[in-house]
Amino acid sequence: MFNNKKIVINGIKDNDRMSTQALLQLIEEKVEEGYTDFEINACGQHDIGGSSWNKEGKELNFRITNPGQRVGGMARKGTNIYVEGSVPADVGWLNSGANIIVNGDCGDTAAHCAASGKIYVSGRVGTRSGALMKYDPKFETPEFWVLKNTGSFSFEFMGGGIAVICGYDCAGIKSVLGNRSCVGMVGGTIYCRGPIQGIAKCVDVIDLNENDKQFLTSGMKRFLSAIDKKGLADTLLDFTEWHKIIPLSTEEKTKKISVKDFRETQWVEGGIFGDFIEDDMSVFELAATGKGRLKQPVWNKEQCINCELCIKNCPNDAISKTEDNKYLSSDDKCIGCSICATVCPKNAWTMQNNKKEIS
Amino acid sequence: MTKVTINQLHKDDLPWIIEYDESKCIKCGRCSATCSFGAIKPAIEQRVKSGSISEKNKLEKVIVIKQEIGFANHCRGCGMCERVCPNGAIRAVRNTDDRYSIRYRSETAESVKKGGRSNLNTEGRTLDKIKVGRISQMTDPSLDALRHTFELKTPFGRVLSADKLGLNNENGKMIETKTLPPNRWIYPIIMGDMSIGAVSWRMWEAMAIATAYLNEVCGIPIRMCTGEGGIPSRLLKSKYVKYMILQIASGHFGWNRIIDAMPDMVEDPAGILIKIGQGAKPGDGGMLMANKVAKYVQEIRGVPKADLLSPPTHQGLYSIEESVQKMFLSMNAAFNFRVPVAIKVAASVTSVSVYNNLLRDPYNIVGGFFLDGLAAGTGAAHEISLNHTGHTITSKLRDCYKAAVKQGRQGEIPIFAGGGLGQTGSFAADAFKLICLGANGVFSGRLLLQIAGCVGNDTERCNACNTGLCPAGIASQDVCLTKRLDIDKVAQNLVNYILATDLELRKLMAPTGCSSLPIGRSDALITVDKNVADRLDIQYVC
Amino acid sequence: MCRIGAIKSKKNIRPSTALKLMRSQQEGHDDSGFAFVMQDIGGIFETYKDLPILSMAATIEGTRLAEDILHDIGFTRVLQWTPDINNKQGLKINPMPNYIFEVLAYPKSHKYATKEEKEQLLVDTSIRLRKALDENHSGYIYSFWNDVLTLKEIGSPKDIGTYFNLWDDDNELCAKIITAQCRQNTNYGIVRYAAHPFFLEGYTVLANGENTFYEKNRLYQEGLYKGYLGFESDSQCFLYSLHYVNKILKWPLEYFMHTVFPLSYNDIDKRNGTEKEILLRIKASLSHLSANGPNTVLGVLPSGNLICVCDPKKLRPVVIGRDSDTVIMTSEVAGINDLMPNRDLTKDIYPKEREMIVVDDNLKIERIVQ
Repeated sequence: MFNNKKIVINGIKDNDRMSTQALLQLIEEKVEEGYTDFEINACGQHDIGGSSWNKEGKELNFRITNPGQRVGGMARKGTNIYVEGSVPADVGWLNSGANIIVNGDCGDTAAHCAASGKIYVSGRVGTRSGALMKYDPKFETPEFWVLKNTGSFSFEFMGGGIAVICGYDCAGIKSVLGNRSCVGMVGGTIYCRGPIQGIAKCVDVIDLNENDKQFLTSGMKRFLSAIDKKGLADTLLDFTEWHKIIPLSTEEKTKKISVKDFRETQWVEGGIFGDFIEDDMSVFELAATGKGRLKQPVWNKEQCINCELCIKNCPNDAISKTEDNKYLSSDDKCIGCSICATVCPKNAWTMQNNKKEIS
Repeated sequence: MTKVTINQLHKDDLPWIIEYDESKCIKCGRCSATCSFGAIKPAIEQRVKSGSISEKNKLEKVIVIKQEIGFANHCRGCGMCERVCPNGAIRAVRNTDDRYSIRYRSETAESVKKGGRSNLNTEGRTLDKIKVGRISQMTDPSLDALRHTFELKTPFGRVLSADKLGLNNENGKMIETKTLPPNRWIYPIIMGDMSIGAVSWRMWEAMAIATAYLNEVCGIPIRMCTGEGGIPSRLLKSKYVKYMILQIASGHFGWNRIIDAMPDMVEDPAGILIKIGQGAKPGDGGMLMANKVAKYVQEIRGVPKADLLSPPTHQGLYSIEESVQKMFLSMNAAFNFRVPVAIKVAASVTSVSVYNNLLRDPYNIVGGFFLDGLAAGTGAAHEISLNHTGHTITSKLRDCYKAAVKQGRQGEIPIFAGGGLGQTGSFAADAFKLICLGANGVFSGRLLLQIAGCVGNDTERCNACNTGLCPAGIASQDVCLTKRLDIDKVAQNLVNYILATDLELRKLMAPTGCSSLPIGRSDALITVDKNVADRLDIQYVC
Repeated sequence: MCRIGAIKSKKNIRPSTALKLMRSQQEGHDDSGFAFVMQDIGGIFETYKDLPILSMAATIEGTRLAEDILHDIGFTRVLQWTPDINNKQGLKINPMPNYIFEVLAYPKSHKYATKEEKEQLLVDTSIRLRKALDENHSGYIYSFWNDVLTLKEIGSPKDIGTYFNLWDDDNELCAKIITAQCRQNTNYGIVRYAAHPFFLEGYTVLANGENTFYEKNRLYQEGLYKGYLGFESDSQCFLYSLHYVNKILKWPLEYFMHTVFPLSYNDIDKRNGTEKEILLRIKASLSHLSANGPNTVLGVLPSGNLICVCDPKKLRPVVIGRDSDTVIMTSEVAGINDLMPNRDLTKDIYPKEREMIVVDDNLKIERIVQ
């Protein structure tokens, strides 16, 4: 560390506050000059600690007080950020590899879109924290460790990465993940300790397996040492109160009884018209045979001259002649097209309306 | 040869002409077997046998399919023949030179009757000229239609202003000091209101099943209005009656059975709708032709098999005040003032006065105002009513809403708008826009039939609901036809359509930043039509 | 998104504290304006707690017009205070010719008037003044009420502070409650009346957000009460709803939340019978007062209690920090860090969605979850 060039920057001088732009340009200038250790006493300036790198590949170290939004936003691997005190929204936004420690609370949307690196928080984090965290297999899995709890709507649309919410000092809190957590979550894993309520339906809450416990044990030690709370290890590594949350697959999300099954099992038995109508709910096709016919042919022996034109022209071979010269139309074959009646020279076939009211 | 005289009815008088290609026809008879109107039949035609022209009388007989020429059995263009033909040999073609309505009137001395919908030109439909133009992007973030929570619920029932709620602050604790008119929170879409008789028992039950399923399985608190044809006791006595809005119209059909069932009812109905008028034929009563008055319809309605023409008004109602006294009071009393009672009227130039009258009703017992526009459909009507009477829904809804705003009473009597919604393809958009213009919700009937397989449309296709010969088994009481309808498929399709509409409504609520219904949020709408902008008081854009 | 803050203290605080509170939140506003309301006033106004203070900015003509109206009604001037103006070059400010802060005595006709009658006189006078000033574009009246002083100006908060010498810690303006906003101007025009905080009859409201149900709120509120005027900002709707629910309907405070952010039907359905019935009645009856969109609302009640309410999605930031004699509510923790660097961080409160925080005169904090 003795090689490191160190500089202190104050964000406010004699009542004159530096704008975010001026502060960030100054930091960038100093990074260019080879400074690697920054102590920044900010006055709410945004984006401190983000997307800088040392030309020789040395790590950049930031120690910050009172930053504004997005401290460590878009920060790269090789950046170490330590914030003393509580910070506003968007800590570690789009974190792309930095180690970020906040010794205090975080505002809303902490770790939003974090894609790699580690974010450690010694307090609580705000609404929508962990939203859209992601995992790119070419990079280290992002990790987001919070000692206390999150605000509501946390981990919305989460796509990957690991979040650990330790639920410390949360007595009386109904849900350590707030309300409506995990809405739209499609990937990643959340470990949390303590009660959870109102979680979205698209995820499953399951017990920890051995790998999970191993991960938490080793990770917890690093986390607690970073926030200087090693003494909590025993409390936090009692796995009885931990849950693991993973997204459900699409099929699991859309299971529903069919309307047909609903009718058959839950609807009024026998149908609401059952007092009036016997209806087995079978369906007639168009141009149906049998009872589905709109018309059916009737044979009149007196008129028949045995010309067999009906037999010859019936498109469905429905008409047959018995040995004693009776003509029959088969209900199973006849669709009631009335060709027989049309071709009959003597009206021996007439069409009878099969249409009738239900009784 | 048959004699042909000029005064006979001819094929070219009819609205649809059967186009038939004998060379493709295999004489399978499927088309004539399927046609519910009897509009086509097999026939014998003569053809010249191929051969020498010097020989005489060399004709042969062939079977063909021929169009019937008549008022009762003319082709309605339903297209079933085309559906069943294996070879594409037959189809119905619109006759643009038809003289049907002239011929019909001059031959029968009757007015033309039909079912279906009004045939106003749908081009330039007001709702289609309106877009949702206020998109939240930055300061008020858009929401995610699929994943965020939205509340698609609206009050149904009389709402009182806050100072009349009977809520008192007693040492920091709120207490209620009086009973208020009933009020329910329901989905902003109401299915209905089509009567048993007008539609087949399968169609009606499918709607009821879909309603129950949407409530019980999908958590969508949609309600169905029964129409005025009575309700089967089995439904009245089941728990599902809580999703039903019971209708009473001038015929009062089926109400004796409802009264009879009361001691056995395990749930209150969702509401009662007093139908005064309907958009398709304003000023006209219900009409059910005898051929649809099946035995069970006779029983439920308490009538013989005859044309059932309900009077245009409720006998004994001479004024709005009277209707409040008689109908509303009685209907409220029927369920001991636990069930919201609403009124349905056809949109009219006078709708605002009616609405104002109801708003001023001192008894506060009018729980909803259903306003039905002229593009609505019906099971049967005189064509003259269907095509030439009525009032468009959009501006009239807006007028009623603004009349309420003027008095600071918007929302006190929830307005439900209907009539031709989804006509040009998007029900959700129509519903959303009407809600922004001041509706609490919408209702739709005809669209449900189309979902179920009805092939009728705005340009005179089919529209034969009045005949009882509905080829889809929807507007029929005939066994063979009704059984064409697959009850499970229809119910499933209805459910799916509502689910899709629900998603689409959220797709409009989300970008406008609304997590609850945007009732009266006309600031979200824009139009490129200056007249529409001026009339509806929304932003004109170009 | 603008930045808002509310400070309540057992000691007198000066406008410079409000400026400092907002300074670190600079990136959240756009130099389009700064406004504050002081209540429970100390310093030169301390001895006039029972008399109304008129806060206005006007042209010379407007000033005269206002004086005529006040004279006509019978008000008499007791004290006039004018800020020291530092009109140095280059300040980003768009000042009015006159700033009037004066203590007035009630007309003789109101010598034996009840508190309510006096309040009505103040409301009616404010409305009359406003209408007259609006008519010839000659000024703005911000508040006319006992123990309340309002300043609103267009420009850079820092420069507005300089112009009025507000950075000066010896400034004679001080109070135990200050609410302030630095503006981020959104879709409604830059007008002084659109700057938060808004004041009506003892209620002060400032909001960070956007009320997408502005139009329907406005249409309903316009007919509710004569004092519901202006509507230059969609956030005024919150003030009027708070006033309507708490003052006119006399409902307990938490029903403000139930009115502007009604619970969903499903959530209400889970409540017990009476509560359910009450909440459903309100939800239906006042549906036109429900707001939508992202909003954090801060306010001061006639009792001097501070409140903070967050929308159902908690789409806007707010944090509350405190020490033994001061409570600060503001958009971002950076502001509190500047003013109270040594407070106990674990005592900070991050209000949740659908939560109301109430701070009373003893700085006791009550959290009411809807």
